[in-house]
Amino acid sequence: MKAEYVNPVFKAVTDVFKAMLDIEVSRGATGAVAGGNQEVDIRINVKGDVSGSILFQFPQDTTLNIVQIMSGMELKELDDFVTSAMGEISNIISGNAASYLSQLNYHCDIMPPQIAVADAVVSAHFSHKTLSIPLHTNIGDLNICISLDEMK
Amino acid sequence: MIWKEKYKIGIPTIDKQHEELFNRVADFVQAIRQEGRWEEKIEKVKDTMVFLQEYVVTHFNYEEQYQQALGYPDCEEHHNIHEAFKADIQSAAKEFADAGYHEQAVQILAGRLLAWLINHVVAADQKMAQYVTEQGLEI
Repeated sequence: MKAEYVNPVFKAVTDVFKAMLDIEVSRGATGAVAGGNQEVDIRINVKGDVSGSILFQFPQDTTLNIVQIMSGMELKELDDFVTSAMGEISNIISGNAASYLSQLNYHCDIMPPQIAVADAVVSAHFSHKTLSIPLHTNIGDLNICISLDEMK
Repeated sequence: MIWKEKYKIGIPTIDKQHEELFNRVADFVQAIRQEGRWEEKIEKVKDTMVFLQEYVVTHFNYEEQYQQALGYPDCEEHHNIHEAFKADIQSAAKEFADAGYHEQAVQILAGRLLAWLINHVVAADQKMAQYVTEQGLEI
């Protein structure tokens, strides 16, 4: 997978977190990204000049903090309201990433988010197919797995 | 309360409409998430769906007329975003009515609506306000 797909995704995450939440995002340390017993996994499939998927892994604590900032309400569990809000944020980030990719002349469409709640703690993994980017914010960590191939 | 001063774009009429929109969405979110029987919350869901289909359309029309009057270059793109949102709300309203206002479907829409609204105001609407400032146009 080409490393040049990473920057548009990272830029989209930092821009959206800053604009919507007033939160700065930085690259985190490689390894486990923890925060609570569960995590929200959101997969967005990408089709076009580059195809594959972007997987957003938000640990429970990070998720609750994000939705709390948006809703102004105290939240305790990863219910449908919370995971749906995270699905939309991931959708917005992916839309922005697709727009940045199109500026590099890779035109692609994003599919609707597939949302799941998992018990496992997020663990960053690397392979030749998937690039995992652990990210850090002052309201918790998150992980993004990018798995995109050029189809042109 | 979900409205924040930082969401203001500096165009008073639009800011006022946004604040009203955020307040109504906040009321809706609070109503569907508080303790109590779901059946008692359905009226609030119905009211909100009507509000979203009426007030939001009025607000979108105002924004679009404002953009046309300014000669805003991203007018069409902004219009398309509004149209997609209107279609989404219309289809959700129909789905809710047909299926009997199931709680899960309403909670899912509420989460999506909250994130969509915040992003639209801080991204697309801020972009329009930035254009007004850059061009030195009168608000």
